[in-house]
Amino acid sequence: MKARIIDSADVLKIVDLLRAQGREVIAPFRGRGNDTYFDAVTDANRNDVQIHFANPAYPPKRYVLPHIESMMKFHRHDGQIDIEPTYEQPPRAIFGIRSCDAAGIWHLDRFYLGREFRDTYYEQRRKNLFLVNIVCTDPEQDIAPDCFCVCADTGPAARDYFDLQLMDLGNGEFMAVAATAAGESLFGDPIFRKGTPEHLEKRREILGETRKHFKTATSWFPATVRYISQGNVLDKTWEEIGNRCMECGGCTYVCPACTCFTVSDRQTGPDETERVRIWDSCALAGFTRMAGGFNPRRAVHDRRNRRFFRKLAYYFIQRELAMACVGCGRCVSVCHGDIGMPSVVEMLRRATAESDKNEPVKQ
Amino acid sequence: MSQSSSDNIYLPKTAVLERVVDDIPEVKTFYWRFEDPAAQNDFKRFKPGQFAQVSLFGVGEFPASLPPSPTESETFFTVRQVGSCTAALHQLHPGDKFAVRGPYGNGFPMEQYHGKNLVFVAGGIGMIPLRSCIVDAIAHRDRYQSIQIFHGAKTPRELMYQKNLDEWKNAANVQCHVTVDRSDNGWKGNVGVVGSLFKKPDVKVPVDNTIAFVCGPPIMFRFVIRDLLEMGFKENNIVSTLERYMKCGVGKCGHCCIGVAYICVDGPVFTYEQIKKLGEDI
Repeated sequence: MKARIIDSADVLKIVDLLRAQGREVIAPFRGRGNDTYFDAVTDANRNDVQIHFANPAYPPKRYVLPHIESMMKFHRHDGQIDIEPTYEQPPRAIFGIRSCDAAGIWHLDRFYLGREFRDTYYEQRRKNLFLVNIVCTDPEQDIAPDCFCVCADTGPAARDYFDLQLMDLGNGEFMAVAATAAGESLFGDPIFRKGTPEHLEKRREILGETRKHFKTATSWFPATVRYISQGNVLDKTWEEIGNRCMECGGCTYVCPACTCFTVSDRQTGPDETERVRIWDSCALAGFTRMAGGFNPRRAVHDRRNRRFFRKLAYYFIQRELAMACVGCGRCVSVCHGDIGMPSVVEMLRRATAESDKNEPVKQ
Repeated sequence: MSQSSSDNIYLPKTAVLERVVDDIPEVKTFYWRFEDPAAQNDFKRFKPGQFAQVSLFGVGEFPASLPPSPTESETFFTVRQVGSCTAALHQLHPGDKFAVRGPYGNGFPMEQYHGKNLVFVAGGIGMIPLRSCIVDAIAHRDRYQSIQIFHGAKTPRELMYQKNLDEWKNAANVQCHVTVDRSDNGWKGNVGVVGSLFKKPDVKVPVDNTIAFVCGPPIMFRFVIRDLLEMGFKENNIVSTLERYMKCGVGKCGHCCIGVAYICVDGPVFTYEQIKKLGEDI
């Protein structure tokens, strides 16, 4: 990958370059409190775009997979039914996507585009999307207490999955790295200049230092992946986790790697109905309930088991080339029962390792 | 499955309802065809055990088994009225439009069963997906050894596909046995659960070189599996087709994911050996 150097004062000019390409640019902003959020850049708010910021509560996943997305319209006329698919493929860029969330979109790519069937709606939105990743380097502003990308192996600097990556070198300069041809094409602009070996050395130094500032660096993913995949986790442990779940669905709604949706038809005119898909959550009791009332997942711990099995089982990791957790820590912040991913990983590992059932010496 | 990037996997094609036949209470068979003859031809490549997604405009979409065999000329669904979509389908009249996409799922690997004995065990509307295999197997009778059909229902008037049952009873080289949980006036046949048919003096179920197809409500499924295992069936020679809440049918919406399988793309047909490992109620 090629790298270039850019002055801190010129970093927002990348937003201008992307807007000049006709793209809608989504970027992080600060709210009136301590909140941050992603929104579209306009002439009015361009100077308010943030470089160092706490990752927003909602990941930018909604720009490739909206909460509610129109799929098609059915028009009724003269006894005929016309079915018209509704696509959106805006040329768009996300400026300032964190490494964890970039890995989340990469995971969605694997899931929606890499399996038996390609998801047309996802593909339409994704194919015109340009990602500008900003590496988390500021321990005060960028890294939250719940962040664990270092355990999920997605950060602090994404290794791939972006078009352009920016890193604050702390001396009035940023390093820009291009991972795609689209990213490299920006380097033609005079705001970018060639770097020196000292810049590369600085990058490594900063990454090494940044890694020391993660607090939740205790997720024992490998052991837990093994226990889950081999079916070694005791039912009792799943029940304990299930007992702490309040079935709010929050973890799934903030997750950059969750993919489930439901589909619903709604009336949009006297002779027109629309089919939409809406984010759905495996935490909710109705998720698997069939017409007629039979529900194969009766207890809440069946459903919790499902979520973590789906995210961590070796079978799925093999198919998707990564576990379905990117270490963003949002499920930790949102969960009232303290069963966000690192906590569950710890509970599963501890309870399973300590159980007699898995003690190999029997006599 | 090959697919070009412009194909929209979620887009159904319009179909016309041709006629409706009452089966048993709350269950009807809907004969239909695609408006576009090319779509109809394309669809006819389905395999026994596959399913389709049926769209009712403004109501939604539901997964439906395909009871016809690919050897039959007509396409139809047999559907129990149980939720909002199926209720909407039940209200349609001949000439009304709805939409269909598919076929989806793995289907029964019938080619692997050539030269084997086939035993079909269907409880109630579990006969709907098995009908496809039965008709297909009888149409290619020379490919298989013996064919036995066992069908159980709550009452005589809830036996599925009466006309087919009569045909199968009279077909050469096919044995068809039916039973009901409760008899009523005029019923001269067997009374008892479907498993009770296996023990009748005139029944001899082959175990070696045999595939058992089992489909029915959860309680029936458990008892029939127990009976078959006691008879000496191996778990990988028992096959079934599972039902789950599904929204997409193509492995994306997540509702039917159990264990390591998405029922819609990895199933709905599984051996009992696989079903046991999925780790959920059937």
